[in-house]
Amino acid sequence: MSDPDYAALFRMAGVTGWLHACDIDSGREAGHDADEPVPLASVFKLPLLVEFCRQADAGLLDATAPTTVTADRRVSGPTGLSAMLDDVTMSLRDLAYLMMAVSDNTSADVLLDRVGMEAVNTMLDAFGLDGTRLRQSGRALFESMELDTGHGWPYLDPDDISRLRVLDPARTNRSTPREMTRLLSMIWRDEAATPESCSWMRAVLNMQVWPHRLASGFPYDDVEVGGKTGSLPTLRTEVGVVEYPDGGRYAVAVFTRSSSTAVIQPRADAVIGTAARMAVDHLRR
Amino acid sequence: MDLVRHLRYFVVVAEELHFGNAAIRLGMAQPPLSQRIKRLEEELGVPLFDRSARQVRLTEAGRLLLGESREIVARVERLRELARHGDGGVLKIGVPPDLAASVIAALVAGFRAANPDVRLVPAEIWTAHQVSALAEGTIDVGLVRHPVAAPGLDFGQVLVQPQGVLLAGDDPLAEAGEVHLTELAGRELLMPPKEGEPGWHAETLAECRRHGYVPAQVHQGAGLGLVLAGQAVAFGPKADVPGLAWRPLLGSPIACRVSTAWRTATGTRKDWVAEFSAVAVRTLKESAGMTDEGAAPARRISRRPGMLA
Repeated sequence: MSDPDYAALFRMAGVTGWLHACDIDSGREAGHDADEPVPLASVFKLPLLVEFCRQADAGLLDATAPTTVTADRRVSGPTGLSAMLDDVTMSLRDLAYLMMAVSDNTSADVLLDRVGMEAVNTMLDAFGLDGTRLRQSGRALFESMELDTGHGWPYLDPDDISRLRVLDPARTNRSTPREMTRLLSMIWRDEAATPESCSWMRAVLNMQVWPHRLASGFPYDDVEVGGKTGSLPTLRTEVGVVEYPDGGRYAVAVFTRSSSTAVIQPRADAVIGTAARMAVDHLRR
Repeated sequence: MDLVRHLRYFVVVAEELHFGNAAIRLGMAQPPLSQRIKRLEEELGVPLFDRSARQVRLTEAGRLLLGESREIVARVERLRELARHGDGGVLKIGVPPDLAASVIAALVAGFRAANPDVRLVPAEIWTAHQVSALAEGTIDVGLVRHPVAAPGLDFGQVLVQPQGVLLAGDDPLAEAGEVHLTELAGRELLMPPKEGEPGWHAETLAECRRHGYVPAQVHQGAGLGLVLAGQAVAFGPKADVPGLAWRPLLGSPIACRVSTAWRTATGTRKDWVAEFSAVAVRTLKESAGMTDEGAAPARRISRRPGMLA
């Protein structure tokens, strides 16, 4: 059976896309340029979450310890603590929940300070994910865009976009679609951390609020979709796991770059779900 | 007899060497033309044509008089022209080929009303070619689209014309009140030649990308045939073309900016150039719906959280 025509699908939505999908239990896979390095954008929060859990498992930190985030530690962002005004105190794992459910940049940087970027990279090495690398905090992502363009958000000029380091996998947090589905598979197979931590990570990933990307391809009450989105100018991505009522579990990673610089592009968001669905249907055949 | 008029008939017959063809060119019947040539021959006392052969030929005398006659006819025409236009000044202008015919007519009429002594000679050339024509002195003043970068040029007041979109009459968007650029997705775009309007090309296509429209193909040309055929859309001012629909663009993202342009060292024609610039501003406002270039309101970009997370 021939592979689905992902390229045509992406083209119709005005994007270029990279995709990998695998059956978590059988290992069957489908892909489209699945080993290309891609910028992670907010998906960098996924490996950070895993290392956070491993350090909690190892007793290096107490996930329930109350942590105060003062207003001056805020990082730019549209959600969570980033959008709030006053000092906040909550546990580290609740910060982690906000980091994953609404992609809160402030929570992510508080956790990254605590966990350490090199610890995340060491863990990735141990997992054999050497195409995945963290180099920038959430704050650094935003600051580099301002430095590259000389101004703040929004970034709509094609010239500005071409200068952004955060879109160059060689100079920002990076991975490949295949390595992202491997990391997800490890979480779903209880291999990334202790079974208790993996179970909690799955629950948190399933609490992500955005319905417009991966989940839009699986519009059924009895299909579970958990994942983490990432967005930067012209970059839209989501990596996640789709669980079918018959027990089938599929890790999917879709990264796209749009040729238009417009911020609101429902078709570019939706094609992430459509392409993922195409891949999962292919794996189930 | 009107000698000059008869000489003109002679010149035309001599060029055609065929009375029938010459009569057509002159817009008259052949017999009176033959008669008038005969009267001219009587007047001058020499035969001008040899009608004996199958084809009409010039006689030796005819050949001798032809050059002289041409000279006289041309000089008399020039005399009349001078009489019509006073001192006979000429101002050569460049206008974009896609400027509406009615606007060009209004420019010429407006300038003539203010300067009956100066004849306006318009040439239809694109911005980039106007810039070189100005540098070479082939035109005195141009009407250019911005952005245009050229050292040694001065520009008049910049006027703005918001563009709408021209669609085939049966395009589903033709029913819409307004069209957002992003809704043009999937349609190809017709633009003036890139070589002739490089600034307009770059600016417009960048604006399209910003607003979510990336045309699969950009056709180049000034005619609207491709739009009529439903194969492309084009940006332009409101126009009433049979078979086409014009719709405004939501938020007016595409605006054409034009001004007059002239060489900084224009010399003696400076007054006329200034006069033309003034007429152009007035005419473009009245006939082409252009307005003063105001500070464009900052575009609002939505911060819907899901699009940024």
